[in-house]
Amino acid sequence: MATADTLAKPPAPALNWQTLAQGGKRRRSASQSTLLAFLVIVSLPIILPYFWMVVISFTARTGGISTDVLWTACAVIVPAVLLYSVIHASLPSPRLRLVAGAVLLAIACALLIALIGDRLHFDNYRFLWRANVVEEIRSKATAGGQFPSVWTAFRNSLVLALSQTVIIITVASLAGYYISRFAFRGREAFLQGMLVLHAFPAMTLIIPIFLILYWVGLLDTIVGVMLVLATIELPFYVFVMKGFFDSVPWDIEMSAMTDGATRRQAFRLVVLPQVRVGLIAVSVFAFIRAWEEYIFVRTFLIENKNWVMSLYLFWVADDIMGVDYGIVAAVSVFYVLPSLLLYVFCQKYLTQMTIGGIKG
Amino acid sequence: MTSFATAQIRRRRANFALFLGPTAILLLLFFIAPVVVDVGVAFTDMGRTLSVSSFTLENFERMLTRDSRLLASLGITAVFVITTLCIFNVGFALLLALVTTSVSARVGAFFRAIWLLPRMSPSVVYALLWLWVVDPNERGLLNQIVVHVLGLPPIDLRNNHPLLLVILANGFIGASLGMLIFTSAIRSIPEHLFHAARADGAGSLAIVRHIVLPALRWPISYMTIHQTLSLLVTFEYILLITAGGPFYDTTVFSLFAYRRAFENGQYAYGAALSLVLVIIGVVAALAMWRLMNMKELLQPPRIEVH
Repeated sequence: MATADTLAKPPAPALNWQTLAQGGKRRRSASQSTLLAFLVIVSLPIILPYFWMVVISFTARTGGISTDVLWTACAVIVPAVLLYSVIHASLPSPRLRLVAGAVLLAIACALLIALIGDRLHFDNYRFLWRANVVEEIRSKATAGGQFPSVWTAFRNSLVLALSQTVIIITVASLAGYYISRFAFRGREAFLQGMLVLHAFPAMTLIIPIFLILYWVGLLDTIVGVMLVLATIELPFYVFVMKGFFDSVPWDIEMSAMTDGATRRQAFRLVVLPQVRVGLIAVSVFAFIRAWEEYIFVRTFLIENKNWVMSLYLFWVADDIMGVDYGIVAAVSVFYVLPSLLLYVFCQKYLTQMTIGGIKG
Repeated sequence: MTSFATAQIRRRRANFALFLGPTAILLLLFFIAPVVVDVGVAFTDMGRTLSVSSFTLENFERMLTRDSRLLASLGITAVFVITTLCIFNVGFALLLALVTTSVSARVGAFFRAIWLLPRMSPSVVYALLWLWVVDPNERGLLNQIVVHVLGLPPIDLRNNHPLLLVILANGFIGASLGMLIFTSAIRSIPEHLFHAARADGAGSLAIVRHIVLPALRWPISYMTIHQTLSLLVTFEYILLITAGGPFYDTTVFSLFAYRRAFENGQYAYGAALSLVLVIIGVVAALAMWRLMNMKELLQPPRIEVH
C-alpha cells in the first residue's frame, strides 16, 4: 500500500535530503529506545528477585527483613545506570566513556556505603564455619543433629558434578566421534534410536529408575545418582559432540593417517585437540546441570551424609524459612555462585553448542 | 591376505566396542531397562515394601474408572501446559528473539544472557526466589510493590492463585530455550532479504510478517512439540514452589504419578500412570524426529579405515 501511495504522488519539488536523513535517524533512535525500554521492563522481574536475594543475605537478621535497604539501593543504582546509558549514547570516544563510567561507579558506591553501609553484615554467612546453625535457631528439640556441615554437602555436590562430567565427556566424545566418522552396519538405525532417546523425557522414568537402583543396591549412593544423571542426558551430549566432530575437516585425519597414524592415534592426537571448544562447552554445561539437579537427588539420596547442596538448601529453607530469611538467602547465594561464575565466564563456549540442525 | 582381512575385522570389532560400548551399556542400563521395568511393574501390585506378589490389571482399571482425582489433575495439566506454552514458551520466546535481534548485537546478547539466568541457576534457588517474591505478608517483593506503590491490600498468589504462580514460574524459565532457537533461526535468514524488503518499502511489521515468520515455521513447530512434551513431564518447579498444593490444586499429571509413588507408596500405580507419559513421550519424540534435519545428520562417513 505504502509503495502505491508514494508512486501516485508527484515527486516533491525540492527534496531536502538532510532533513530526510535526520528524520530517519530520529525515527530509528526512537524505535531503538522503545525496544530497549521494553527489554528492560520485561527483564526486571528476573533481575529484581536475584538482587533481593543478595540484599536479604547481607542485611536480614533473625526474625525480620528490612525492605527499605532494597529500595534505597535501587534508588541509587537505577539513576546511575540511566545516567551511564545517556553518557554512553552521547559520548563517542571509548576513553571518555570509561572515565565517566568509573566516576559514576565511584559516586554510586560512595552513596551506597553512606546510605546503607552500616546495615550490611556477614552474620548470615556464619553457616560456612559453624556446623549447627540451623539447630541453634530452631532449638535442639526440632532438628537435633539433623544437619551435616555445609562443606559435606558442598563436597558431595562437587564429587557428583565432576565425576558425572568426566563420564559424559569421555563417553560422549568416543561415541560422537564414532558415529561422525565411522561406517558400521546399523548406523542409521542407531542414530535414529539415539534421536528418539534424545527427545524422550527421562523424567517419566523416575519410578522405574528408582526401582532399578534399589535392586542393584545403588540407592542412596552418589555413584548411583552419578550414573543416572550421566545417562539420561547422554544422547544429547553425543549429538552435540558429533556436531563438533562433523565440523573438523576430513583432510586433517587423512593426512595424519597417510603419515602412518592409526585411526585411534588420529582420533587422540589430531582430531581431539581440534574440538577443544566442544569439550569445554559440554563439560561446563554438564557440570552446571549436575550442580543444580534436584528431583533425581531428592528421590535417590536419603541419608543426610549423602546430601548435596540442593538438598541442603532445600532442608534449610524448609526448616527455618519463616524464622530466618537471612541464612536461607546466604546459603542460596553460596550455592548459586559456582554455576553463575561458570556460566558468565564460559558463555562464549556455551553459545557454540548446536544440535543436529533443525530443518528450515 | 586372509590374515590381513581377519585382522581388519578384529580391529573393526574392537573399535566398535571401544567407541560405542560405554554409551550402549549406560543407555541399556539406565534408559532402556527402565522403560521395560516400567511396563512390567505397571501390571503388578507393588506397594510400599517394593515386593511383587501378583500380576494384575487393577492399576489400569483404577486409572480408568475409580480415581476421581485423576480427572481433575488432567484438567489442571491441560490448563498449565497450554497456557504456559502459548504465552511464554513459544509466544514470549518469539517476541524476545525478535526484539533482541533488532537491537544492537551486544545489547541483544546481554538481555538474552539475563533471560538465561534462571535456566542456569539451581532449581531450588529459583523456586526460593519465587517464594520470596510472592511471600503473602508485606515483606514479599510483589507485595511491597502492590501495597506501597499501588496501594492495594497484599495478595497471596500461592494460596489463592496457585496455578497462575506455577505458570509464571515455569514460563520465565521456559521462554529462554525458544528464544535461543528462534534467535539463531532469525540470524540464518540471508541479510539481503531484509534490504530488499526495505527497498520495496516494507515496514518493520511487514518484514516480520512476510520474511521472518515464514522462515521460522519449522523451528516454531519443533519448539511447540518439544516444549509441550517437556511441560507435560516436568514438575520440578511445581514440586518446589507449591508441592502440588494447596491440596491437589497444582498437581499436574506427572506430579500426580510422582506423588502416588513416592508419597503414597503406590509404586505400581505410579508406574502405570507414568506409562501413559512414556507412550506420549515416544509419540512426540517420533514427531519431532520428522522435523530434524535427517539428511545432514545421517550423512555417511568418508573414511573406511579402522
